[in-house]
Amino acid sequence: MSEVLDLNDAGAMHIAKPAPSFLFRLGSVLVALSLVLMVVGPWITPYDPNRPTFEISEPPPALSAVPGLLWKVITGAPHDPIHWFGTDSTGLDVFSRVIAAPRTDVAIAVSANIVSLMLGSLLGLLAGFARPWVAGTVMRISDLIQAFPVFITGMILVTLAGRSNTTIVLTLAFLYTPIYVRLTRAEVLSQRHRGFVDAARVLGKAESFIALRHVLPNAMAPSLIQASVTIGFAILMTAGLSFVGAGVRPPTPEWGLMIAASANELIQGEWWSSLFPGLAISLTVFGYAAFGNGLERKYAQ
Amino acid sequence: MPSDAAPVLDVRGLNVDYGGRAAIEDFKLTIAPGEIVGLTGDSGSGKSTLALALLGLTRGPGRISGGSVLLQGVDLLALDEASRRERRGRDIGLIVQNPRGALSPLHRVGQQIGAVYRSHQAVSGTQAASHAIDMLRSLGLNDPERRAQAYPHEISGGMAQRVLIAMALGSGPRLLVADEPTSGLDVTIQAQFLDEMWRTVRKAGSAVLLMTQDLGIIANYCDRVVVLQNGRQVEDAPTQSFYAAPRDSYSRSILALRKEDALADATPAPLLAIKDMRKTFPLRGSEKRVQAVDDVSFTIGHGETLGLVGESGSGKTTVGRCILRLVEPDTGEISFGGADVTRASPVALRALRRKLQVVFQDPFDSLDPRWTVADILAEAIDGKPGKARITELLRLVGLGPDVARAKPRALSAGSQQRVNIARAIAVEPELIVLDEPTSALTPLARIAIIRLLRDIQARLGVSYLFISHDLNTVEHMSHRVAVMYLGQIVEIGTREQIFRSPLHPYSKALLGAHLVADPSRRRVDRTDLQTLSGEIPSPIDLPRGCYLASRCPVAQPSCREQPQPLLPAPDGRFVRCTPAIASLKQSPH
Repeated sequence: MSEVLDLNDAGAMHIAKPAPSFLFRLGSVLVALSLVLMVVGPWITPYDPNRPTFEISEPPPALSAVPGLLWKVITGAPHDPIHWFGTDSTGLDVFSRVIAAPRTDVAIAVSANIVSLMLGSLLGLLAGFARPWVAGTVMRISDLIQAFPVFITGMILVTLAGRSNTTIVLTLAFLYTPIYVRLTRAEVLSQRHRGFVDAARVLGKAESFIALRHVLPNAMAPSLIQASVTIGFAILMTAGLSFVGAGVRPPTPEWGLMIAASANELIQGEWWSSLFPGLAISLTVFGYAAFGNGLERKYAQ
Repeated sequence: MPSDAAPVLDVRGLNVDYGGRAAIEDFKLTIAPGEIVGLTGDSGSGKSTLALALLGLTRGPGRISGGSVLLQGVDLLALDEASRRERRGRDIGLIVQNPRGALSPLHRVGQQIGAVYRSHQAVSGTQAASHAIDMLRSLGLNDPERRAQAYPHEISGGMAQRVLIAMALGSGPRLLVADEPTSGLDVTIQAQFLDEMWRTVRKAGSAVLLMTQDLGIIANYCDRVVVLQNGRQVEDAPTQSFYAAPRDSYSRSILALRKEDALADATPAPLLAIKDMRKTFPLRGSEKRVQAVDDVSFTIGHGETLGLVGESGSGKTTVGRCILRLVEPDTGEISFGGADVTRASPVALRALRRKLQVVFQDPFDSLDPRWTVADILAEAIDGKPGKARITELLRLVGLGPDVARAKPRALSAGSQQRVNIARAIAVEPELIVLDEPTSALTPLARIAIIRLLRDIQARLGVSYLFISHDLNTVEHMSHRVAVMYLGQIVEIGTREQIFRSPLHPYSKALLGAHLVADPSRRRVDRTDLQTLSGEIPSPIDLPRGCYLASRCPVAQPSCREQPQPLLPAPDGRFVRCTPAIASLKQSPH
């Protein structure tokens, strides 16, 4: 019988905290890398990402040649210009464009999430505290926004409002706000019945003070964890919008645009100019997801 | 029940360690057939670790690093895992805390009892099913055939406990290990459960190791007491001599509270007066309402403590929350220091609230985890209090000044509760509602908090409304006591009246279930016990007459028709039972 019973008691406190998982560490590294490249990316590119070189559709160096080339770069020995990821059909260096792109992709995703996180948390707090009809209105509007397919709504909104970085940020923020409204409201509803909230009430504190100083800070954790995952999705969406021509304007270095521009060359065997930006998107989205997942586990403990 | 027969369990030099740190050191214990041994100790003393180790199990990085556990002469620790597993459940039964959590919600209880039986005996499914029904019948369940078909959510907590005993005793084990089997149960159900366990093992001659922090349980049901402290055995004595003169400091400090009795003086002039308060809650998806508080009236004097006792669901917490206006009472008057709390304007209410403070049950939940202790206290005082004021408040509740910088998570539950008390007294209130302030604490911390609360009352002259289901702490805290049942006060009187000679049939049953930490006042020896039969009526569909009539041993036909009023008895207390008052008038003493 003992095998099926859960014996929860004091013994648990002797268990040491498990070390952070490998995936969480990998996620943290990728997230940090994307943020660093967002700031310094365009400044450290080996070539100007917007000026074509003389080599057109140059493939990347063979894998076997990479160590030799690396050695030459490190020792400063004379060598031909190297295009690590090759060049595209207009002669732009793919490597430079891949590391310059976070300035657009990551920046848009992060700003959109900051805006929606702030807006969503405040609306969620309102929905958790206000009278039922206010809460009902906020939640039904959230339902309405979430009822539309995200990508198609995004496409239409950006096209109508004009393709600029600001409109993309605002569109994504609009689409992601309901996620944070819902999360914050759920957490507010459980936090507002906790003892310290009642204790503050008994001390005669105003409801608005209690909501902003006690409830909101304690209700933010799930939203912050969600933000990490949503940033990943927002990057995917930004790239997706520009891929279908409803996002950032060319020739801005941007992963989705790069894939769109070289999709035609793929059939001619020029795989490198779309593969590397594609890999960059996958790795970044995966990194944010793994980071968020790890955060969630830490929070659950 | 001492016996010369070979011991059922013989533990020698048992050691368990967690990554090099000893959790159990050199533990020795023998239990004779039919003997009940109580094992006690504060939280973290290693009781649960020991319970597992006796089954040859450990948790996490823990490891049994030495010793032997002889069960009927066979060393469990020397066996391989397969033969150990065979003995668990067959030769050793285990009863754990939280009965409902230990049952699978997807299977009928009869099936679960049968499954344990079948895993150790070569019997058919039909035989196991009839055995399960027999077990339930022997545990005093009426209509066991129907109960066996129930799912765990369909039965009450007390019944779930009986199912667990049936599972543990199904194969007739020689040894029963019960780890805090009654924590979280109401006192009447606790007493019922322990009575049944006591009778069953006495009849079967099983050996029992009963782990509990409640010295009342040990005094009432155990033959011998073993005390653990930090994994070391500090006491192993017969119950009688243990309670007469405990040798270790832990037991001495816990038992010392029995002797303190004097309370601070109180003036009878009422500070708080409640009249005909009523509160119902709407039931979701239905027109019906749940009755939480029903016509409650009482007063509390300056410097007085009123103990409010009752089982879970009796409405005692709602009474406290209504006084604080955390919930709005439907009808009734609450007057506090002459001012009407129910009709106070928001501004007046805010000022009034500062004279009315609260300490909740869960000490950690009542402190904002993101704030430091200094911030928490400063919030109560309003404005910028000096460091000296914070230090003084901390000193008043027995904490050092360096606690101010800590966050609640870094403090023990007892210290957290002290911070809660400091916050409550920071505004110099006249009345503090204490809503089960000691229920989440270990026995040692509980005693310290009770002493602290009494000390604060003596120094500051504050009044308390002390809400608790723990009759021991209520007895030590209260000048007067009110007993609640299904939202009504059924009896209210002085501490002596309620604890020495309860009048109302429900008070009698409740106090009868109270396990006193004194082996000379054992419940199993008493003959005048009054017990209630049947189930508590639902607070949604309350009976027309007296709420207790369907369970009451002295009910008269008129009780079922007419609600009972709360009437004064000749000795000054108020009782909601006309027959009981009449009997007192006939035989005054």
